[in-house]
Amino acid sequence: MRIMQEFTKGLFKENPIFIILLGLCPTLAVSTQVVNALGMGAGVIFVLLGSNIFVALLKNFIPEKIRIPSYIVIIASFVTIVEMVMQAYIPDLYKNLGIFVPLIVVNCVILGRAEAFAKNNSVGHAILDALGMGIGFTLALSLIALIRESLGAGTITLFPIGDFSGTLRIPVLSKAPARVIGLASGALLVMGYLKGLFNWVGARRKEAVK
Amino acid sequence: MKSFAVIGGKLALICAIAATALGFVNNLTEPRIREFKAKQLEEALSAVVVRGKAGEEKPVEGVPGVLSYYPIEERNNALGYILKLIGAGYGGDMVLLASYDTEGVIQAVRLMENQETPGLGKEAEKDQYMEKFIGTGGKNPIPVRKSQLTQEQADSITGASITFIGIAKALETGAVFLETLED
Repeated sequence: MRIMQEFTKGLFKENPIFIILLGLCPTLAVSTQVVNALGMGAGVIFVLLGSNIFVALLKNFIPEKIRIPSYIVIIASFVTIVEMVMQAYIPDLYKNLGIFVPLIVVNCVILGRAEAFAKNNSVGHAILDALGMGIGFTLALSLIALIRESLGAGTITLFPIGDFSGTLRIPVLSKAPARVIGLASGALLVMGYLKGLFNWVGARRKEAVK
Repeated sequence: MKSFAVIGGKLALICAIAATALGFVNNLTEPRIREFKAKQLEEALSAVVVRGKAGEEKPVEGVPGVLSYYPIEERNNALGYILKLIGAGYGGDMVLLASYDTEGVIQAVRLMENQETPGLGKEAEKDQYMEKFIGTGGKNPIPVRKSQLTQEQADSITGASITFIGIAKALETGAVFLETLED
């Protein structure tokens, strides 16, 4: 029972973006296109998984006094690996994400999970926590991107497969999109409304339990 | 004192292992990245040449904003130049490839390495973004302010004015440099 909870808590109850409010900088910055959100999400899942595993493995080896610098070294190494692999094998995505790939280092979700969870738990639980939090982060990011891109640009950009160019055009919206939604202020608006929605749903659930 | 050494040693060990792992990954990915970059440059060079062929790259020193140039020739006739320019963007320096004819009129522009914001400044990587500059230069001034653009062109730079100004100023610097090259 508890094992499943380590995984599912990140999806909704402790969703890193909507509930714990961690990692908002990349959320606001790369959520302009769905494909960027998915790519960023994949990068974060990989780094989170790597850092959580190593922090949990080394929890008895790393002295308390230098735990933060040690975590940063571990996280930065994984981010650099993601950056190099992305640049070599998926250069188009790397071009789109740009500066936000190296910035995964300072994504609070990752250091937050290392400090709050991985260093006090077993490797197995840390893996589940990383997967749950990473997928929760990706889902939340994709949701924001889907709303922002469809309203702000009138398109939905996915991966190009075969004849499909990768971009879906929404008939009426692509002619007259609400550009503000695509800008930074739009990101905050969408984020705020979604946070409100999550709070409302959460409150209703709590009442139902009572 | 002893605990100090233990802590320092452990941190150094973690760093050493991380550095080894990174060196290993770099070894695997570096040739592919280099190959990709070379291919990208070649592609961009042929894309900005409208007519003729790009010659050898010639480095430029002492001119801020201009890295190098390639002469464009056709049967030994000089048709113009491709300039490799540096512009100041929102996320740091941007590298541009721009071709000019011998009169200094812009033929084509390509935005190369940059750290602009996806969905905003990054839109400048698309060919249609650069259409606003093509045909300007020489007698027509290169647009460097939003007020010099049509409504549709101005809409395309909304939220990314710094990128636009960076590109426009770099193209202007290039045009000025070309005049010195012609003499």
